[in-house]
Amino acid sequence: MSIKAGLGISTDKDSIKAVKEAVLQARQNLNDTAPPNVAIVFSSMEFAHLTMVKTISSMLGPIDVLGCSTAAVICNAGIFRHAIAVMLLSITGDTYYTSGNITDIKYKTAMKAGEEFGEKLLAGFKSARRDLGIVFSDGLIDKSSNLIYGIQERLGSSFPLVGALAMDNLRYSKTFVYYNNAVENDAACGLIMGGNVNFGLGIKHGWKPLGKPRYITRASGNIAYEIDDIPAATVYEDYLDCDLKELRVELRRIGTFYPIGIYLQGEEEYLLRNITDIGEDGSLILQGNIPENSQIRLMIGTKETCFAAAEQAVNEAKADLTANSVFFPKINFALVFDSISRYMLLGRDAEKELDAIKKAVGPEVPVIGLYTYGEQGPLKSIDYHGKVYLHNQTISVLLVGE
Amino acid sequence: MDSEILVNILWLAFASAALALLIVSLKKNEKIKYLESAVDSLKKTLEEMDEQAKLIVRTDIALNKTQEELDKKLTGLYALQRLSRAISTTLEEKHIFRKIEISQLEDLGFEKACAFLWNEDAKEFIPYLHIGYMEDEIEYIRADLAEKREFYLDLISREKTISSISLQKEMGRLGMSKVFRANSFVISPVVPKEGDKGFIFVGAGVDMPLTEGDEEFIILLANQVSQALDNARLFEHTWMAQQSLERKVEERTQELSLALEEVRSISKRKTDFISAVSHELRTPLTSVKGYAAILIEEKLGALPPAVKERLEKINRHSDELVRMVNDLLDISRIEAGKTTMKLVPQDIRELTASVADLINIQCKNKDVELITEIPESLPQVMADRSQIERVFINLLGNAVKFTPPQGKITITASEEQGRVKIDITDSGIGMPPEALERIFEEFYRVDNEINQHVKGTGLGLSLVKHIIEAHQGRIWVTSIQGKGSTFSFTLPKIN
Repeated sequence: MSIKAGLGISTDKDSIKAVKEAVLQARQNLNDTAPPNVAIVFSSMEFAHLTMVKTISSMLGPIDVLGCSTAAVICNAGIFRHAIAVMLLSITGDTYYTSGNITDIKYKTAMKAGEEFGEKLLAGFKSARRDLGIVFSDGLIDKSSNLIYGIQERLGSSFPLVGALAMDNLRYSKTFVYYNNAVENDAACGLIMGGNVNFGLGIKHGWKPLGKPRYITRASGNIAYEIDDIPAATVYEDYLDCDLKELRVELRRIGTFYPIGIYLQGEEEYLLRNITDIGEDGSLILQGNIPENSQIRLMIGTKETCFAAAEQAVNEAKADLTANSVFFPKINFALVFDSISRYMLLGRDAEKELDAIKKAVGPEVPVIGLYTYGEQGPLKSIDYHGKVYLHNQTISVLLVGE
Repeated sequence: MDSEILVNILWLAFASAALALLIVSLKKNEKIKYLESAVDSLKKTLEEMDEQAKLIVRTDIALNKTQEELDKKLTGLYALQRLSRAISTTLEEKHIFRKIEISQLEDLGFEKACAFLWNEDAKEFIPYLHIGYMEDEIEYIRADLAEKREFYLDLISREKTISSISLQKEMGRLGMSKVFRANSFVISPVVPKEGDKGFIFVGAGVDMPLTEGDEEFIILLANQVSQALDNARLFEHTWMAQQSLERKVEERTQELSLALEEVRSISKRKTDFISAVSHELRTPLTSVKGYAAILIEEKLGALPPAVKERLEKINRHSDELVRMVNDLLDISRIEAGKTTMKLVPQDIRELTASVADLINIQCKNKDVELITEIPESLPQVMADRSQIERVFINLLGNAVKFTPPQGKITITASEEQGRVKIDITDSGIGMPPEALERIFEEFYRVDNEINQHVKGTGLGLSLVKHIIEAHQGRIWVTSIQGKGSTFSFTLPKIN
């Protein structure tokens, strides 16, 4: 196995000092003579993002920098709302990787941009076996499901891809994606790995269905116009005993705590869709696509089900990692994509999720992660053949090991 | 016939079948009705469950809101506690505001803050803190504060906190929101007892549900800042005073050192001068005295009695001059550290007895009683015998000189604080208080009747003092005019 990882974190207020501190820590923790060739970077909003990526490049020379902005950084030391986290990877030997990015997604349309992005990633990976893709994309692009569909058009619909939608500090105004020396919005970056890569993935949310099943009777893309032949928002008005105006005021809370769950045949959990807006016609604008005639339920989450889901996700990732090994493999690093909705629900108890992950993987394994506006990952049931979907409210745990 | 039977049979069969069908149909209908009833029941249950779900959601929302509010309060309290600790331990005025950090502000439920203190000399608000604002935004706020300074100064003087919930639209809430770029905000005065006063502003750009609890938190924070400012200013004041005092002490010490250096330099010049002059005087004096002695002894021929008498005077005065020069030389040697004391164990009892023998003749001649009271148990001292004998002879000689007939001189000794103290007490004429301070100075002579008639150099006691100090001892005198004096000195005892 030839992927090694070193983690660094800094909470210094000065962007340059912070990134230098994080990179030096990561370099020291990498503890490898081979120079790192990939840097995964997550940063909170207040830092000078461009200065940050340029400093990394100037410190480490030619290196693939990938990452994005977030509302809070996750790492072994805890959850930090004002920090820069850097994980340096040294990918050598019989493990291969290639990285790429895409910009101007809105102009190109998410689907076309996804296809172009997929082609770029494939370009450097034609002969070797590809095993895993990691993608970071702008968290505020419309129809982000389409970006995934576009990538799948080129990489194959069952190709295992995990991704995170970048965040800002809950202003929903601008998010940043880092790729090498550039910082962009309306963009995505990612890498695919192949050769000798062993990984395990677990995605869970813990939200439970509530009330009677209903059907999406009219929908298009990410807009649900009607549920059971009445304007979609009426369901929420009815459940919450409020009118459309009040619903709009409470939208962020409602969208977080009571999302729509799409029933998927054979899947353990419902596929969740956050409500991002309410149309004048009473339609619900969702973060991801929702097919017409889908059976849906109103979903409800609690702190307890959230913790249980985090434990299930990391254990599922461990089981996945072990599936192809006789002995339990060494975990080289863990990547965590955690929905900001969970942070809002868990409040002061948010670190308990991290504790569960650290307990499961062991104290020596470097853990890096971020809070996201959405997560991307494959469904596991046979009916969906590992097809990648956009998720909401989930915690994705990716374990990369030997 | 057969056909008739067949028709009957067929009718019978048809009737039976119809009956059977009727029975089956009736049963099916019953089942359908049962199933329809069951479906209705299930639908009803589902609807009821849905209604329950609505209740659950509404309760859950209320619970979540309460939980959020509690979480917010707890987080805010923790943040306030951390802030209080950080602020209260800061003793530099400028650092107090720097202790407020964005993460703590967020924990308190806000995302931006600024603080201004009114500078009475400059007549303007000076920014001390800005979080979540760009420099130009702060300048914009500052300009607005200058324009509406009466309003803000009034708030500060009345120690009144205002917020976006307490301030009505018509009272300028919208204007403030625009200036500070915050929809929800709290402004709380910072009013230390001394020095510049001002206010702290905290706000959130987006609409956030501000409560009175939030306002309370900010009032607590502002009070904490005010108190910390007071502490810092008091500390600075004390520190400055201490610094000033230390500076003065240092200056005075330096001045004293310089003066001491000057004194030492003068003293050394004086010693060098005395030493040089004494040496120069001794050679011709020896010649004068030698020639006088030759002449007196009439080795060069007989002398008329008048000449002889004059020569004897020359001889006697030469002796006095030699003694004086010797004393001066001794003093200058001791001062210059050129005389080494040969410190060996000495028994004071034995030493005083030997000196007393010498002095006794003078005492008897003058009818003065000399009493020696030295305890046998007195420990030995480390001393140069010849030098200490000079001390005793000098002090006892003075005592005899100033004690009238029938008077008495007492020598006593005792052990005190690791030293041996010797007292020589006489029942003489004593000294005026002003003489006590100067008695050990060179060439100083007490102005009294005896000194006017008896000659002296004024060097004896000075030499005594130098000898005692060269032994690491101390000498002093107490005296009552008309009753007598006591000269006391100490010498180190043998451990």
